[in-house]
Amino acid sequence: MRLTTPGPWVVGLILPLTLGVAWEVAVRQGMVSGRLMPPPSRLWASAWALIRSGEMTTHVLATLWRVGIGFTCGAAAGTFLGIVTGASATVRRLLDPSVQALRAIPSIAWVPLFILWLGIFETSKLALIGLGVFFPVYLGVLSAIQGVDRKLIEVGRVFGLSTIGIALRITWPAVLPVWVASLRTGLGLGFMFVVAAELMGASEGLGYLLLDGQQMGRADTILVAMIVFALLGKAADSLLVGVSRPILRWQDTARSRL
Amino acid sequence: MTRLVISHVGKTYADGTEALHDIQLHADTGEIVAILGGSGCGKTTLLRLVAGLDQVSGGTISIGDQVLAGTHPSISAVFQEPRLLPWLNTGANIGFGGQRLSATDREARTAALLDRIGLAGYASRWPRDLSGGQQQRVAIARALIGHPEILLLDEPFSALDPFTRASLHELVLDLWRELRPTIVMVTHDVDEAVFLADRIVVMRPKPGRVHETLTVDVPRPREKLASAFDLMKRRVIRAIDRSLADERRVGIRVGSGGMSPWV
Repeated sequence: MRLTTPGPWVVGLILPLTLGVAWEVAVRQGMVSGRLMPPPSRLWASAWALIRSGEMTTHVLATLWRVGIGFTCGAAAGTFLGIVTGASATVRRLLDPSVQALRAIPSIAWVPLFILWLGIFETSKLALIGLGVFFPVYLGVLSAIQGVDRKLIEVGRVFGLSTIGIALRITWPAVLPVWVASLRTGLGLGFMFVVAAELMGASEGLGYLLLDGQQMGRADTILVAMIVFALLGKAADSLLVGVSRPILRWQDTARSRL
Repeated sequence: MTRLVISHVGKTYADGTEALHDIQLHADTGEIVAILGGSGCGKTTLLRLVAGLDQVSGGTISIGDQVLAGTHPSISAVFQEPRLLPWLNTGANIGFGGQRLSATDREARTAALLDRIGLAGYASRWPRDLSGGQQQRVAIARALIGHPEILLLDEPFSALDPFTRASLHELVLDLWRELRPTIVMVTHDVDEAVFLADRIVVMRPKPGRVHETLTVDVPRPREKLASAFDLMKRRVIRAIDRSLADERRVGIRVGSGGMSPWV
């Protein structure tokens, strides 16, 4: 008889489910109080209350909007500047040292300056998220362009492609896998920076929910916000992977064979 | 008659290394010329100059009356590695060689060539799913789809097993009989040169220069076990030995004394 192998996502659920059940049992048996680490049933009750009141939707939409706009702007700027510096040695010599110097500054260190320049409201938050997304995308695109196989470029030259033709038909497809990987890194950082952005004075958003939970002493609210962050981050990453899969199906990678 | 003429061509790199010195050779229309020599004698450099991938430091390369400056639509190439574009399927890789063809022509020729190279039904496969020999067949088809006047072969069979190599030799000869491009091929394999070429140019290194040119007077189709084939091979090996002796005379260190490395 052949046993059906469970999918990897099922295997991945075993550890958190076991820990959750064990914690629930421990709290219900009075072995621990569960005040600072509420059991799953209490988390679910808090989450359900937030959902029913509509608060959850407001916070999730606010966070997603910020990440969406910040990510789009940061990724677009990183891609554009990565292409320009990758394509032109002169531009690279001119710009790259400055960009690398700016990259060495921890992004959070920009917060006071952004608040001073752009105010406490949305613009400074979007700028912080965009900055976090920008650097990995810029670096990824720049290094991928510089790493394109010279031999493939020569194929384009022998078969009569113009410089633009080579850029579009050889360089860009060759860069795509790294670009997608850098977008995924950027998206992850976008979710990281939205927390920092929303901690610096927001009235809605999951980051605000975290801060609110801390100020009200509600560990359950904090944990619910963290779990929703994880779910949103994973969903956004999966969406990016899903969208890019059709254009990267040619890749000869271990993943494509497994 | 459209001849490829390489006239007094030299190549010196930026660091002062002279890779080629005063190369003079030609290939007539429809002729197969093999450039034979050991590693470092400038064979590939010469082919890259003809392909327009590098610039000559002196001399000229011309087709008919036209002096070449860069790549040329009449010249196509197959490299040592297949160099297929991994994001294009097999059919699109072949079609990639026909940049100047209309979409209809490109499609029709791709289908015909796929059939011709024994890969009908493989059009939608990715390069990663093909064997080394199949990939090299696709590379040959890609180079021929535009019906080039001159086809450059840069040791395209060197990484293949003897069985695949032999079948690709036959494929190249079949396509050559059909399309009649001038072929300039680089090889270090005496058998391959005698089997395919009309003329063999023996080169010697440091700097790369033409040592001797031999006409292959073995009638086609050539039989590798025939005595005429064997005699021709001996002539080529003697030419190589003479080039090695010549090198020793000018004080250049070569491999094991006297024993030809070609046999």
